[in-house]
Amino acid sequence: MHTRFQILILLALGSWLLFSCRGDEIVYPTIGTHVTDEVREGGLYVLCEGNMGSNKARLDYINLENGTYYSNWYGAQNPKQLKELGDVGNDIQQYGHHLYAVINCSHKVEVMDLQARHIGKIDIPNCRYMAFKGNKMYVSAYVGSISNPDLLGSVYEVDTATLIVTREVKVGHQPDELLVMDNQLYVCNSGGYLMNRYDSTVSVIDLSSFTQTQQIVVGLNPTRLRMDEQKRLWVCCQGNYNDVDPEIVVLQTNQVIKRISTPCANISIQGATAYVIDGDENKLRAFSTIDFSEQTCQIHIERFEHPYGLLATSDALFITDAKNYVSSGILYCYGYDGHLRWTAKTGDIPGHLCRVTGAYDIYEDTTHQDTTTYSPYLSRVYEYMPAMGQFVNELPKYEEGDDAESMCRKCEVSIANNAGGVISLGGWGGYVTFGFDHAIENKEGRDIQILGNAFYMTGSTEYGSSEPGIVLVSHDENGDGLPNDTWYELKGSLYDDPNTRHNVIKTYTREGDTLQNPFHKHPYYPQWLQAEEYMLTGALLPPQTVTINNQYVQRILDYGYVDNKPNNDKEGTSFDISWAVDKNGNHVELTQIDFIRVYNAVDENIEQTGELSTEISGAIDLHLK
Amino acid sequence: MIKRLFILCISLCACSAFATNEAELDSLFRQFNVEEVEVTARALNKDIIIPQTLKGAELQRLNALSVADALRYFSGVQLKDYGGVGGIKTINIRSMGSQHTAVYYNGVQLGNAQNGQVDLGRFSLDNMEQIQLFNGQKSDIFQSAREFGAAGNVYLTTRRPYFKEGERVHVHGQLRFGSFALANPNVGVDIKLTETLSLTMDAEYVYSNGKYPFRYRRVLPNGETAYDTTAVRQNGDINAVRVEAGLHDYYSSTGFFRIHAYNYWSERGVPGAIVNNVWRNGERLWDRNTFVQAEWKDEWFNRWSTRVLAKWANDYTHYQNYDERLLPANNEYLQQELYFSFANKIQVFKWWDLSLAYDYQYNVLDRDNLLVETETEHFNRHSHWLSAATAFNIKEYVRAQASVLMTAVDNHAPRVTPAVFFSFRPYPAIDLSINAFYKQSYRYPTFNDLYYTDLGNASLRPELARQHSIEVAYRKATEQFDLSLNASYYYNRVTDKIIAYPKGQQFRWTMLNLGTVKINGVDAKADASIYLPLRFVLRTRLNYTYQTAIDVTDPNDTYYGHQIPYIPWHSGSVVLGLDWQSRRGDHYGLNYSFIYVGQRYCQQENTIYNYVQPWYTHDLSVYAEWAINRWWLKANFELNNMLGQDYEVIQNYPMPKQNVRCTLAFRY
Repeated sequence: MHTRFQILILLALGSWLLFSCRGDEIVYPTIGTHVTDEVREGGLYVLCEGNMGSNKARLDYINLENGTYYSNWYGAQNPKQLKELGDVGNDIQQYGHHLYAVINCSHKVEVMDLQARHIGKIDIPNCRYMAFKGNKMYVSAYVGSISNPDLLGSVYEVDTATLIVTREVKVGHQPDELLVMDNQLYVCNSGGYLMNRYDSTVSVIDLSSFTQTQQIVVGLNPTRLRMDEQKRLWVCCQGNYNDVDPEIVVLQTNQVIKRISTPCANISIQGATAYVIDGDENKLRAFSTIDFSEQTCQIHIERFEHPYGLLATSDALFITDAKNYVSSGILYCYGYDGHLRWTAKTGDIPGHLCRVTGAYDIYEDTTHQDTTTYSPYLSRVYEYMPAMGQFVNELPKYEEGDDAESMCRKCEVSIANNAGGVISLGGWGGYVTFGFDHAIENKEGRDIQILGNAFYMTGSTEYGSSEPGIVLVSHDENGDGLPNDTWYELKGSLYDDPNTRHNVIKTYTREGDTLQNPFHKHPYYPQWLQAEEYMLTGALLPPQTVTINNQYVQRILDYGYVDNKPNNDKEGTSFDISWAVDKNGNHVELTQIDFIRVYNAVDENIEQTGELSTEISGAIDLHLK
Repeated sequence: MIKRLFILCISLCACSAFATNEAELDSLFRQFNVEEVEVTARALNKDIIIPQTLKGAELQRLNALSVADALRYFSGVQLKDYGGVGGIKTINIRSMGSQHTAVYYNGVQLGNAQNGQVDLGRFSLDNMEQIQLFNGQKSDIFQSAREFGAAGNVYLTTRRPYFKEGERVHVHGQLRFGSFALANPNVGVDIKLTETLSLTMDAEYVYSNGKYPFRYRRVLPNGETAYDTTAVRQNGDINAVRVEAGLHDYYSSTGFFRIHAYNYWSERGVPGAIVNNVWRNGERLWDRNTFVQAEWKDEWFNRWSTRVLAKWANDYTHYQNYDERLLPANNEYLQQELYFSFANKIQVFKWWDLSLAYDYQYNVLDRDNLLVETETEHFNRHSHWLSAATAFNIKEYVRAQASVLMTAVDNHAPRVTPAVFFSFRPYPAIDLSINAFYKQSYRYPTFNDLYYTDLGNASLRPELARQHSIEVAYRKATEQFDLSLNASYYYNRVTDKIIAYPKGQQFRWTMLNLGTVKINGVDAKADASIYLPLRFVLRTRLNYTYQTAIDVTDPNDTYYGHQIPYIPWHSGSVVLGLDWQSRRGDHYGLNYSFIYVGQRYCQQENTIYNYVQPWYTHDLSVYAEWAINRWWLKANFELNNMLGQDYEVIQNYPMPKQNVRCTLAFRY
């Protein structure tokens, strides 16, 4: 028995050694692979969808200038994003200085800078595709905010500065791709949820009134929509996969002018050629956008398993093979002469491509910050105390359980390190206190630039959207690293104006939170505050709003106020520490400062747009930049 | 007398893997029932296919709530568990896929013609006497034709009534409660109606709010926390009621008639995958499973045995998804099944048996989409099975079996599958045997595979599994210990695997016979009971499985040669139990179990992005059982996932951290 027991124990130990233990879950790695020696301009983002429920949407990036393909680029840029990029990537586009990605089953639009660093997100249920115009983004969604038995979808309008949904319009069934032409928004209504009773229309939405003005009947199951150089719309109708064949329907001034019978899983228009994926025969077809004739296409994709993503650019055509949809795909780069230039292995279902002008690289060990060089950008938010207002609890977003501290962290996510987001100070007196990872020296000329979201009225530099905030600065006299020292005001152009009232005190109470306008049906009182009321003090500038051409605009102030001039006016948004005055208005010469506070200095409420509220989107130490 | 019976019962049950198959169990019960003879179950291991067994007290002492939890302690088995009391739990035997596993409830197969999977999380252990797992098929050739058809078989046997002289009624009850608002009362009664006829009834209610905390944490390569968040699982509640009744008539020493009715109702939330920005899902599911089954078995001239089975099952499912963000769904499914089996066995000589069986089954599925006014979709299927089997022995040395099964399902061409089993026992005096088998079996496409909107493919062929297995088994039992050791090697090949494949564009999938998987595995088991002084008994149960299950469909695939999803290379379990019996027959004990599932991948392609870490849980339970006059009382306290590991069996479906359960039970 004894020996048998030993055998037993040996058996147990033996099998033990084969076992490995569970360690920390490491973030998904980013792997850079050199795929080509060819040099092109800029880079290309590849959004891989990933299967539903797998949370494997993956944003890859290839630096076309040195041929390095980075799998999971987003992961390296945003290792701290909870549960990564999300579930099912559905669209990616660049607009202005930002990159936007629709993550369908995470019900959000991810907003990033051009290097794919997270700035914010917009929650939109079952969102599908995007289009842009002005400072607005339009997002199609399979469902509206109010579910209805007809299963009609919606298009949401989002303010790209504040990342807040501003309007919503109901369209047809399961809207997919959309685009803006002039002041009209066109949306494909696919009807994908209706099972064999597909929709067949394109909705036309007037952007001013944001209402659907027309539904153009195109063909069964329209999913893709692109515009050619003649401003004609190419609509890919998928048919019903049974007795109705797929076709491309071309619209001009809302009339069908041409039907091209071809399978059209994907389409990309480059110059005068529309490239179309024929998924039935695994062929890439080319059609002239002038006379719609089919051209010879040199690019052959017959050996693809499932051609899927497509992007025709001036110097190369990018096309992906999604394989069996549950394993990694391949990105192919072709020259228009039909030569395969290179390939790269992607994530699961590489579906969406976005060419950008920037060529970036990630170097190893990006997680270690070099402590010998200081960042020129605002790095820390110490206090955030907005006055009641329509964007309070929204910018940044208040969530159950947040406190003053976590709200500061959220502010940092929005505006620190050049993140490019925006925070709102709410009504008069609301303030934020921030700093850098170093003290700012008072040198010759302007020292700090503080960014807002002001803009000029078209054709004017005297009027525009100005929501002036006053700047206070402070030196860490007691050296405790906290903003509890003497504050000095940076004297702006209205400091000595007889209508400016100094040392005003205003009390905000939870009870008085009744100002809600129809666009912002949420509490205005800061929800993380325990107290039932709070008091704010400071100077109150005279009202600046005037009506010009039936538009409410503000006088642009001369100098010395935050969110008063557009960010591209560097001088107009910069401040000199030498402007500092003490509470009696006497000049003070500070050699350096550690803390900056900005508060909203106006108390004006405009019927249509709500109260004037200083917004801040970052700050820069001009001596380091 | 009563006390003696109890002691007997428990010690009998404790000798795990003795009375191994149902027939033997039957005869044991019969002996208790009728003659009350003290049985020493020290018989040789006569099985040609040695099942893995959990039964009686051993089963009740495991940290397990459902049959699925108990099956984790078997080797070669992979459990898919979506977490929580209400989460779906299915098993996969030797990597052939869960649809190759047949589950039998008191000898009759549980069906699900819609998706071919049986959710083992729904079967409570409270009324369970024994769980057995046979690789290949059951040892005894006297079985229904359909039983020859599956690649792996799990037999669930519910508790049967035992009456001693003068006893007419037994009552039992149980109350279990635990973490996440688990409330689980159970009552039952056994009534002796006549000398041979008895009635059993059992009812159970399960509630849990399913609100368990889970945690997601990842770190940067330098060790800094990337994110660390704890949330509470939502929409994982369950309300379920099970009621069953059985009428047993052991009318002669050879024959019996049983009829069993079962009903299960449940309402549950389907908590769904946790993905970025989604912490709650809104699907709801209502179920009603009803079946009535009857079995009659008798024997004539000591040579000819007959068994007749009949079953009617009616399963209703209502699925609703009113998540505003998704495609609304409101579907009703009604499945009905009629089943009949007629099996015969003839003993030609003492050493040669023949059996012949015919089974027929009719399945019908009605599908209704309540959101749109459409006609009810209606699918049905007729299946016929005809089996012939033979078994012979050459003295004590060799036992062999061969069977052929012809299966005819609807318009599929009838298919014939053979199976051959062989057992060699070199030394009659030593309980050492070498067993081997080869078996072919088909898994027929389910209604979902064939007819699911947009996905179904009516021209699918059945999926074929070929199993080759060799096993060495050894057992030794003395007054001091009882040891059994078992090691097997197997090679399986699954061809024509039914998989979903994209059809054209726009995410339209179809089912195709596309896939070949090659499986190589080793199972090792060691069970030992050591009878220590002072009436202490130490019980150990060790299981270890090593498997490679390789996709060999097409060398051009990026995942060619990769391990198929969710099959770990290494898995195993350890159970250690210490039991002490007082002089008056009370029991006190401690049970520790450890389950390990090694690294695996969650998709076909074995890349770092699909890698899933090993998980392992430590569970502990303490129990006390008292016998006071005619009362038997039990208290049991379980601590599960003691170290609070945050793990997932299926990716994005987090499992509960530490949780406790407490059970109080009585029998009279």
